[in-house]
Amino acid sequence: MGDKQFIKSVCKACHGGCGVIITVENGVVTYLEGDPESITRGTMCAKGLASIQHINHPDRLKYPFKRAGERGEGKWERVSWDEALETITGKMKELIEKHGPNAICNSQGTGRGYNRYTVRLGNSIGTGNRGIGSSHICYFPRLRAFEATFGFNRLYCDYHGWGGEYPKTQISWGKQIEYSSSDGEMAVWFFEALKHAKNLILVDPRATSIANKANLWLQIRPGTDAALALGMMNVIINENLHDREFVANWTHGFDKLKERVQEYPPAKVEEITWIPKEKIVKAARMFAIDTPGVIQTGESLDASNNSTSNGRSIMCLMAITGNVERPGSMMNWIHPACGPMAAFGFEIFDNIKPENIEKAIGSDKHRFLDYGRCHTETVLRQLREGNCDLKMLHQHGGNFLFSLANTQNVRKALLNLEFLSVADQFMSAMCEIADVVLPVAHWLEEEDLWNTHPGFCTRAVNKAIDPPGEAWTTPKIYFEIGRRVAPKFWPWNSVEEMLDYQLRKADITWKEFSKLGHLSTTGKDQKYYKHKTDYWVKGGGFPTATGKVELYSTALEKAGYDPLPSHIEPGESYYSTPEVAKEYPLLLSTGGRIPYHFHTQYTNLPWIRELQPYPLVQIHPDTAKEYGIEEGDWVWIETKRGRIRQKAKMFSGMDPRLVVVQASFCYWEKQGPERVLPSNANVLTSDDGPFDGPAGSVNMRALLCKIYKMEEGDDTQVSFS
Amino acid sequence: MTRKSVFRDPAQCMNCKTCIIACKLKHMFPPHNTTGAAADPKGVNLIQVYHVDPEISGDNVHQPFVSIACMHCEDAPCIKVCPSSAILKDSETHITLVDQERCIGCKACLWVCPYGAPSFNEDGKLVLCDLCIDRLREGKKTACEAACPASAIYVASPEEISELRARKAVERIAGGKME
Repeated sequence: MGDKQFIKSVCKACHGGCGVIITVENGVVTYLEGDPESITRGTMCAKGLASIQHINHPDRLKYPFKRAGERGEGKWERVSWDEALETITGKMKELIEKHGPNAICNSQGTGRGYNRYTVRLGNSIGTGNRGIGSSHICYFPRLRAFEATFGFNRLYCDYHGWGGEYPKTQISWGKQIEYSSSDGEMAVWFFEALKHAKNLILVDPRATSIANKANLWLQIRPGTDAALALGMMNVIINENLHDREFVANWTHGFDKLKERVQEYPPAKVEEITWIPKEKIVKAARMFAIDTPGVIQTGESLDASNNSTSNGRSIMCLMAITGNVERPGSMMNWIHPACGPMAAFGFEIFDNIKPENIEKAIGSDKHRFLDYGRCHTETVLRQLREGNCDLKMLHQHGGNFLFSLANTQNVRKALLNLEFLSVADQFMSAMCEIADVVLPVAHWLEEEDLWNTHPGFCTRAVNKAIDPPGEAWTTPKIYFEIGRRVAPKFWPWNSVEEMLDYQLRKADITWKEFSKLGHLSTTGKDQKYYKHKTDYWVKGGGFPTATGKVELYSTALEKAGYDPLPSHIEPGESYYSTPEVAKEYPLLLSTGGRIPYHFHTQYTNLPWIRELQPYPLVQIHPDTAKEYGIEEGDWVWIETKRGRIRQKAKMFSGMDPRLVVVQASFCYWEKQGPERVLPSNANVLTSDDGPFDGPAGSVNMRALLCKIYKMEEGDDTQVSFS
Repeated sequence: MTRKSVFRDPAQCMNCKTCIIACKLKHMFPPHNTTGAAADPKGVNLIQVYHVDPEISGDNVHQPFVSIACMHCEDAPCIKVCPSSAILKDSETHITLVDQERCIGCKACLWVCPYGAPSFNEDGKLVLCDLCIDRLREGKKTACEAACPASAIYVASPEEISELRARKAVERIAGGKME
């Protein structure tokens, strides 16, 4: 026990970022636990704590590989890093020469603190097709809606009491923060703030675990969130409960919003959302009267063909109740001296020629995609049709065969790419169809900077052990690709210099920062009511075209979209496609999340797999009875696109018409189609539109399905179509 | 150290299973990694968390998450029934401890435990929650309590737990915090 070290770092098992203390003995990680001195106060989750099985997994990718057979044939040749990188960057240069930079797209999976590298690489290449993936169905529609409304992205829930007040009314809207602290605030802050709250309103089709704590549960029909927010505003405005001072001084277009919400009286909203009108009225009054309040929103709002309105209507609700920049309400936080880490990516945005941005695929229809990205479903359709300008994808993490709508179509499209390179920690299903595969280090094996989501804290990811084999850290991979393909924008001599550069505004080096652990602006460092100062606009205001919170969005209007939020029916529903409902009579949501999985990750870790060996579909006991299904039965869930099997889990906490499948279940122990297809929720989803106008989002959370018990022997082999 | 007891609050628990993994990590229990990943691994498990199907009446949702582990009973039936005296009490904390050398793997403890807490390792010998006694001696919280994001686990003396529960009751009855 001579050599026992304790290293402080940041867990990246999801993109929440809990503080962690790593015990290393003789070069081996022997223990992990939450850091009580960090902003997450020592708490962690099953995913992060199981990391010890992740780093030591025998299936980790350890060396770069090049395809030795056909795409997807599974034949590989081990190559050197030099050869792998020369192949990737050689292809990039060749395609730029031949077709221009828009032929190349580099993308990623969920943002584990490396988004800025992906963005910088795309910008340094100068491609207008800067990324495909799931940003348009996850998080970015809300960011763009914040921007269209407030002029900046975004507002966070003030759970911290730094301004002397905690939220009196909390709304949890399509979000299970207790299971997923990935897109903003952390569960531990939410629970802490809840102790001070008078009201908790839960908006969710299911009685989630926090339903116990809620004093009002709005059991919403999936995909009708904008209607609910508009209905609540109808009550608030017509009963004169809005914050008149804030509305008069700081908002634009209140009269037009007032007119719009008249189309959403509670009785009509009851018909749309299936929520009793009395509850809608009660929630509206509660939120407007018991202020300050916050609204915690989730990803289901984005995976909708009405994503922009979902986000915008909720933001208007925040604004008209004055829950902006007030202590205990929705806040935009001040960053520490190093500035937002994202700047590393955006600072060279001007390197992309305007005409290349204009040519970003699908951006003619969808003008509010993730900052100049192309539209994923359009790109994939063009690839399948063989007429796509985008020829090459370099992908870091993520797995589109699980995260994007209509798995079979996604795979066909990716196979039509001229070149696909994937960096990952395991030989994922997306690696399996690649030309080159790069092995990536785990967060326990890397040094990097971590920008906590709400922005008030930047922290050091400190290395505990060496990566296995020849795996490289994420910053190193981007650095080495960047300096080969666009050296002007990757001028540093080492990764350490690149980290120093990112910290330059704080006048601190990586080495110093690594020891210090974090730079934070918490407590008194935060300023409230910034719109009453020169913070955004000289003389006060918000950084929008009108200088005010735009309830009526001039940016959306200018781009030719509805400037006000509205309800648009999900692309597939009892009301929009009654003919489909005849054959597929049940309502399907793919929003089921498991607290110890993160998308496809961790079902290959024995500790995690033991918790739940198979995917679970939640069915109401009454419905199950009708279909002759019992707890634990294997059940087929079928839509117009295909069918999957999951095990029945009885659940009374939802509408009997609703079926909730678990998303992203990956059979890591299998190969090829058997790994991907049997239980993958996106086999069921549609990539065929309708899409949200501004954001291009596709509806994945409100579909129609049928279910039936799997007969013995019916678990037939699946194959890629 | 004083006598130690554990309180797992079904009203605060949210079924995230962090405590289970924190426990496996602390003790490095199997199952361990295998190439290709096992589809149905089974290993030592000292904490079980159960989801009770919700009862809904009006705006009230009653949906407790009950976690079960060794309760460290004072008059523990497992100690009485163990033929090889393999289960003992720590004199200071009254934590129930297992001497695996003495355990003969008969599983009589499983017959009498009112909570189904006994788990057995690959050799069939008893493994029980030891309330992370080594951590407690170092002045640390148990691994499960330290990791719980919902503050649903509380390890303390029975008197302290009693006071904590009384405080909750006061908040519930009087709607305010106890002085």
